[in-house]
Amino acid sequence: MNRSYFQLIHFVKTAVRGMLSSPVTSGVAVVTIGVTLILVGAFALVLGNMETILNDFGDELRVTAYLEPGVSSEARDALVARASQLPGVNGVEAISPDEAMARFRKSVGTATALLEGLEGNPLPASLEVSLTPELRSPEGLEGIVSAIEALPGVANLSSGREWVEGYLRAVALVRGIGTGLGAILAFATLLIVTNTIRLGIFARRDELEILSLVGASRAFVQSPFLLEGVLQGAAGGAIALGLLFALFRLVLPGFDFGLELLMGGAPRFFSGFESMLVVAVGAGLGLLGSAAALGGGWRS
Amino acid sequence: MSWRNFRLRRPAASAVGPRADGAIRMFHVSKSYLAGTFALRDVSIELGKGELAFLTGPSGAGKTTLLKLLFGAERPSEGQIVVLGRNIARLGASAIPPLRRRIGVVFQDFKLLPRRTVEENVALALHVTGAPPREVRARVFAILKQLGLQHRRFHHPLSLSGGEQQRVAIARALVNEPEILLADEPTGNLDPDLTIDIMELIASTALRGTTVVVATHELEIVRRFGKRTVRLEGGRIAEDTGLPEWRR
Repeated sequence: MNRSYFQLIHFVKTAVRGMLSSPVTSGVAVVTIGVTLILVGAFALVLGNMETILNDFGDELRVTAYLEPGVSSEARDALVARASQLPGVNGVEAISPDEAMARFRKSVGTATALLEGLEGNPLPASLEVSLTPELRSPEGLEGIVSAIEALPGVANLSSGREWVEGYLRAVALVRGIGTGLGAILAFATLLIVTNTIRLGIFARRDELEILSLVGASRAFVQSPFLLEGVLQGAAGGAIALGLLFALFRLVLPGFDFGLELLMGGAPRFFSGFESMLVVAVGAGLGLLGSAAALGGGWRS
Repeated sequence: MSWRNFRLRRPAASAVGPRADGAIRMFHVSKSYLAGTFALRDVSIELGKGELAFLTGPSGAGKTTLLKLLFGAERPSEGQIVVLGRNIARLGASAIPPLRRRIGVVFQDFKLLPRRTVEENVALALHVTGAPPREVRARVFAILKQLGLQHRRFHHPLSLSGGEQQRVAIARALVNEPEILLADEPTGNLDPDLTIDIMELIASTALRGTTVVVATHELEIVRRFGKRTVRLEGGRIAEDTGLPEWRR
């Protein structure tokens, strides 16, 4: 085994020794990184699940074109053919007034009181237009809605565009708050980790002086501090991941019914890759903090 | 064998004694920390391989500054310093550590880490070279045994006597088998009895070809050894017994 390997082992031992020799300051850095990642991770979880809702909703997104009363079945077939030709249209299904009523009856279930007093079938015939994924956005919907509206015999449209727009605004708001909060917390965390490592450098100045005297290179002296930052960050990330998972398991069951209704399924936790990313972000924060400490206060 | 009888392994005869290819060469070196004031002024010294020299002079004469210049802790303001073939004045920061691994340094205050064991303190000098753990343990044990400290290797420095602490510092300086050993007032904190022992220990390293420079103000000791003495006064060389009579 070459000398770099033995030096690496020495760095790991020195970094762990450094953390153990000042457990309070190291603990503060780990907890700070952990708290930051819990908050940012919680936002990421909410955001990820909101985007899942959007995608799931997008899969079912249809534009419904209600036809004018008295449109003949031939004219309706012709409309289906013309609508199918429009760019971005995946398929078109014609719904007769009777089919629409049957669906409505099915959807109200036992609440038949809603149907009492109806004289005849007030529901119009309609076309249900399913869209390609590229059009499942407010901008995409706008174009296709205009094109369908222009078809002869179409009275009005229901596209779900308002819902998509509102939901996207909510997603953007959560993302904005998450990003802003994440940036502020990351900055505060960097300051704390930087000062923790500086304290470590100060506490071990005698050792650093001796290392310098016996011919340690700058990289040899600095590497354990960088590693210390990485270890603190990774520990903070792992703690954050564990607590988020515990919260996810303990708190969410209380909201199961509402969430399932909203999302059409149980909310999901981070995937294996995303979990590793949380730990890696923690390690990255620790590394940045250490690098800042070594860069800024090394000479002093 | 008592550590007092310690003598480092004596190398082949050809390696012993001063040589023409100087391990340390200083040419008209001056060092100024503040404009107009000089810690060292126009100092020229040449020390051969295996040579032992004492630097003497009162406090503030420039002894420590001179040693600092030799291991690259300071850069000369004027003049040239060639140590082991490397010009200190022109050496880049990244070239200093490899040079220091060839130089052992001993201080008056020992500079040991109180939370590390004796073994760990000595091993520091080997860790920086990336030596394998087995080699580190073997070499540390060997040097501690030579200095009579093997039974103290798991002790912490503060549990040792002053003389033992200084021997640990010497062990750390020698474990890499340096070509130059610099000692700055190595007996300043020790009793007179230990002073002789420690000084003999340091001086004996010259026998294996290590160039040894000892800064001390204890003239009694210097006279006892009868070796080359460079006396500094006000940053200038006042006397150098290593020079021929006509050059002094």
